[in-house]
Amino acid sequence: MDLRVEGLSHAYDGMAVLDGIDLDIATGRILCLVGPSGCGKSTLLRIIGGLERPVSGQVMQLGTPPEGCLNPLTYVFQDFALLPWRSVAGNVRLGLEAHGLPEARMAEIVSDVLARTNLSDFAEALPKQLSGGMKQRVAIARALAVNPAVMLLDEPLSALDAQTRELLMEDLVSLWTRAPFTAVYVTHNLAEAVRLGHSIAVLSRRPGRIREIVHIDKPLADRIHMDAELESTQEHLWNLMREEARAADAELLNA
Amino acid sequence: MQKFNRRHAIGLIGGATAATLAAPAIAQNRKITVGALRFTSHAGSFVAYENGYFTEAGLDLELKFFQAAQPMAVAIASGDVDFGVTAISGGLISLAQKGAVKVIGGALSEEDGIDGQKILASDAAFQAGLTAPSGLDGKTFGMSTAGSSFHYMGSKIAAAEGVSVTFKPLQKVGAIIGALKSGQIDAWSIVPHIAKPLAGSGAVHIIGNVSDYIPNYQVTTVFTSEKNAAGEADLVKSFLGAYSKGVTDYNSAMIDKAGGEDGINAMVDLLHKYVYADQPLEKAAPGIINGTMRLNEGAALNMTSVEDQLSWFQAEGLVDANITMDILVNPSFVETL
Amino acid sequence: MPETHAQPVPFRGGGFRPVAIRGAGLAVFASLLILTEWGTRSGWISALTLPRPSDVVKTFGELWSTGMLFKHLVPSLTRLVVGASIGVTLGVSTGILIGLFSYVRSGLVPLVAALFPIPKIALLPLFVIWFGIDEGSKYALIAFGTFTPTVVATYGAVDNVDRTLIRMGQSFGMGWFAIVRKIVLPGAMPGILSGLRISLAIGIILLVAAEMLGAEYGIGAYILEAGALYDLERLFAGVVILSALGILVSTVIGAIEKRLLNWRT
Repeated sequence: MDLRVEGLSHAYDGMAVLDGIDLDIATGRILCLVGPSGCGKSTLLRIIGGLERPVSGQVMQLGTPPEGCLNPLTYVFQDFALLPWRSVAGNVRLGLEAHGLPEARMAEIVSDVLARTNLSDFAEALPKQLSGGMKQRVAIARALAVNPAVMLLDEPLSALDAQTRELLMEDLVSLWTRAPFTAVYVTHNLAEAVRLGHSIAVLSRRPGRIREIVHIDKPLADRIHMDAELESTQEHLWNLMREEARAADAELLNA
Repeated sequence: MQKFNRRHAIGLIGGATAATLAAPAIAQNRKITVGALRFTSHAGSFVAYENGYFTEAGLDLELKFFQAAQPMAVAIASGDVDFGVTAISGGLISLAQKGAVKVIGGALSEEDGIDGQKILASDAAFQAGLTAPSGLDGKTFGMSTAGSSFHYMGSKIAAAEGVSVTFKPLQKVGAIIGALKSGQIDAWSIVPHIAKPLAGSGAVHIIGNVSDYIPNYQVTTVFTSEKNAAGEADLVKSFLGAYSKGVTDYNSAMIDKAGGEDGINAMVDLLHKYVYADQPLEKAAPGIINGTMRLNEGAALNMTSVEDQLSWFQAEGLVDANITMDILVNPSFVETL
Repeated sequence: MPETHAQPVPFRGGGFRPVAIRGAGLAVFASLLILTEWGTRSGWISALTLPRPSDVVKTFGELWSTGMLFKHLVPSLTRLVVGASIGVTLGVSTGILIGLFSYVRSGLVPLVAALFPIPKIALLPLFVIWFGIDEGSKYALIAFGTFTPTVVATYGAVDNVDRTLIRMGQSFGMGWFAIVRKIVLPGAMPGILSGLRISLAIGIILLVAAEMLGAEYGIGAYILEAGALYDLERLFAGVVILSALGILVSTVIGAIEKRLLNWRT
């Protein structure tokens, strides 16, 4: 199932945040959205997933979600959004409970995704016992459990320290390599974008417009830390963004 | 041994213990506080005050008003009030036992031939057949608190009729009236100046007289602190003397009608300052006249009735069984009946 | 040029961090009791000022041995449990509705603010007319008294539930009731439980008020009767029972918190 964003514009209280966005999200690929802070990339992601209604334009689903997909558009949030009163397994189950699956089937799915994300040993742990990286692994496992057609990741690694971020990027790459998934990945971190994106859409500062879409053909599994080719793409992206970022930074908040 | 009461406590806190020790009695302009309820049964104090009898006796008197008899007894115990007039209640007896208060005279009493306290039934109970006290079996009877005079009256009436009633404590007279009017309780007994207007409204019915069950009932008594009774005999005597003059004026105007219609009107006028003061005179007058009951001349005290009340409280387990009449009453100031 | 003078940096932290000292509370309690006992025995505290603690204990013993303790305790506990259950259930439901629906919030928050400061005791005579002088008015008084603080605590707690958790629930396609049951209610539970401590303490206070009208038995009725009879021993025995009830309620809520809120950091 592909997604297509058509002529999408959005405004908050008359202030335009997104302007004429057109995007194609292709099955089995990861699309990264980068841009200076406040450019509306998280808003765009919320609109894509149906959590917010755009002022104009629309997001179209092309085709039907694959068989066994419980929740076609599934988010991974920056601050994990785990229920602190549920165990790891309980949090992963949460997404399944809305779909009336038999108990045994749910248990099977939970243990399967926990195994895939190396969380089996922590099934009964509470979120308060987990580090930030582990919490985000749980959130990713929860998203994978509902077998989404498109994963919508909203700055999933931004709350984590650099080392943990590196480890989780490797995890995401190996998860994708084993079973390719479709994803829209919002980040302000260009290193993440060049490591995980098959294509990278660069947004301008507010109101957000698409400046350029950069494609990287190198397979995800072959991209390594400090890769020279990626470095130059990253440099190119940064040149696109520098002025925008500076101007965005100088804007008054809520002006 | 110096007793530790509230006044002394305040003195101690102020760091002036010695200064609070009672000064010797001054014959003239001795300042005293008298507790009162806004009932005609307190007319003795009101009349004596208005006619200047207390001033004549060298007493600079201040009236302090209470909503119920119980706090007045406590105020005497704490030393905030010197004299009071109220019904004998379990609380009063307990305070007497603790050496705080003493009954020194009589005030209101039931007397044959004079309309006294009434037994009331709610309209609902009346319609269902409670037309005489003999029908009280299984009914509910209102009272302010356990050990109040209402409790005593209800219990005596029930005992005389050989019936059993359930007492409902409702704390305040206002609450009892509300409960009776709405039929939440079945019966109650109260002084005539409250009973008659209630019956007049049709919401309740008078089904009997308390005096039929408790003849010569000493309803209210004059009391003071143990300290005054024991150590300030002159003060007590001057107070009772002035008070008695007020009582004589009241009885002669309202019961013996010595001054005729004019005398009654003058007395009602005087009392209206204190009783039903929130109502216009023409509305208050019937209530005041209806409330007329004999006050004991010379504050004479019916010892037989007091003794009966004490033994009832003891039999009910409301007060200590070891309390004697000597602990409760100091009969040396007035004539006893 | 003065020579370089070395000195340790002065310590400026410390303080402002009281720690619990075991048994200190008990010691204060015990010494007050001993002081009172000694004072009443030696006579500088008159029988009118305070009862002798040993007499209070004796009175309590009599209550126990005559079986009157339970004759008073059972109706009181029933009133507290029934009244508080009604008040808390309605309060939590109303609080959640206020927390979730704009119209309910706009309509009811001013009403609750208006009801909160009303001394519920003042309404007792009215409740007697509405609900009867027997148990109905007592349940109603306690229910009403526990209702308002529960509502305020609950909608405050619902407001404090992390909105991203609710968005998360929606993003997984959870229905409205599932979100309320699985996200809003557990998320609001800490606030609801701490509100419950206050509500139930108010419930105990109102127990005495509720038993002012027409209660033959009950701890409140017992205390009121003791007050009317100026029987300080019974008065204090009753007060001690109420205090114990307060500690019991607080302990029970503490245990519930420990069980339900073990996920809190």
